[in-house]
Amino acid sequence: MSLHPLTALTAACCAAVVTTAAGSWPLSVAVALAAALLAARAGVAARVLTAAGVILGPLFLSLLVLHGLFFPEGHTVLAQWGPARITAEGLDFALELGSRTAASVLLLLLFSFTVSVPDLVTALAARRVPPQFSFVLASTLTLVPAMAGRLEKIRRAQEARGLVVERGLLSRLAAARLQAVPLVLGLVEDAGARAQALDARGFGTPGPRTSYRQLQDPPAQRILRAAALLLAAAAVVLRLVTAWPAAVPA
Amino acid sequence: MSQQPLTLPDAGSRAGAAPRRRMLEIAGAAAIAATYVFLVLTQPVEIANGPASFSALVALGGFLLGAVLLLAAVLPVLPTSTLVLMPVAIVLNVVLGQLMGSTGLPFYLDAIGTVLIAVLAGPAAGAATGVLGSIVWSFFNPTVLPFAAGAALIGFLAGLAARAGLFRRFYFAPVAGFLTGILAGVVSAPIAAFVFGGTAGLGTGAIVSAFRAMGDTLLAAITKQALISDPMDKAIVFTIAALLAYALPRRTTFQYAFVRRFRVLAGKAPSDSAA
Repeated sequence: MSLHPLTALTAACCAAVVTTAAGSWPLSVAVALAAALLAARAGVAARVLTAAGVILGPLFLSLLVLHGLFFPEGHTVLAQWGPARITAEGLDFALELGSRTAASVLLLLLFSFTVSVPDLVTALAARRVPPQFSFVLASTLTLVPAMAGRLEKIRRAQEARGLVVERGLLSRLAAARLQAVPLVLGLVEDAGARAQALDARGFGTPGPRTSYRQLQDPPAQRILRAAALLLAAAAVVLRLVTAWPAAVPA
Repeated sequence: MSQQPLTLPDAGSRAGAAPRRRMLEIAGAAAIAATYVFLVLTQPVEIANGPASFSALVALGGFLLGAVLLLAAVLPVLPTSTLVLMPVAIVLNVVLGQLMGSTGLPFYLDAIGTVLIAVLAGPAAGAATGVLGSIVWSFFNPTVLPFAAGAALIGFLAGLAARAGLFRRFYFAPVAGFLTGILAGVVSAPIAAFVFGGTAGLGTGAIVSAFRAMGDTLLAAITKQALISDPMDKAIVFTIAALLAYALPRRTTFQYAFVRRFRVLAGKAPSDSAA
């Protein structure tokens, strides 16, 4: 049985919300591991982990340096050099926030790397999300791969006309300008042509739409979505209620 | 290239929907402002009390709700000619950011497309592009999603600056960018502090560390870091967007009603599209 795109989206978002609300690092690490395992089962582990590594690597390092060395609120000092103090509270804070972010990032990447964009757009249209949103979403996601090829073509064309990138900043800025202007111009021109084509097909007019694609939405998945939403809402309410007296100064 | 849609507008439904959209816009802006004020007021107690789950949930919920309300207010009324520019702007945010990154300048420069569309199509289009860009880009990097409200603010303020004529003189564009950077940096700081506990870059992280070493709270340290990096970054972004807008042929830029109506760019409209 394949997952409806909205079921996958709801599951990923609700898991991320529950992890954030719980704010306990063992749960965050478990969720992150589960997301990685699911990615491996779906055959996208390499892509998900690479993307997550690029995002999380600098963040982890930055958190470790920031909270590991400088945490004025910490009391348990483990080591000290001048103004820098390693405190147990600081390391704890870095671990807490780092693992929480890692869990959410892995969950959402798992969703975005496994979802079929046409299915997602169909599902959104059936939910009366404005068609403009679906258009921008689908159009951007298809434009991204095309862009690399387009930039490469422009670079080659400019090199054929004598573009040589030298070491100086001015030369590199000039090279960036020579590539950026044709790219922007071409894209804006294309957009104008696309606007006319879309308008001619009634894109801007209000009213109901029908879709060529049909998606199966089994009742079991509807129940699953409702349960996930309830669980996430309960987790958020629980966290807000328990933290309220301490978090708001009298 | 005409701006007019080729089909007849549905006048009745638009007129009734206008006050509702205005309400949505106000509610969205109010949600973002209220979230910011609440976080600034509650933060000193929070950080000492263990994990910032409470503030993270408030920050995520409030800012995302505001961004989605703004999007719901603006998106359905944008003309198709603006709408088709939005994917272009979102992709440009990333591609031009990378291209400028290859010049070795130490800035993120990730809003060039948003500012460009705000200059061509106005504040509403700029704000919607900021939010949508964050949503779409979170498919590749989920950590940009919480910053949607800040991106909307950048697009909105860039559009206001364009409407006020600040892009008519090349020396006003960086000034407008600088002021935008101050506001956007301050609004985005609670997200960096409460949701991520710091900044992703090592350079910015070092600046935050320096302020923390002086005993600042996390939010104060990140806000000060944002006040150092963001105005400079946005001044450059606005300058690049202005240079691009002037590098484009006037036949292209003057086809946008916003550019013609508010005389956003210096120079006269080309005679063939002036009618």
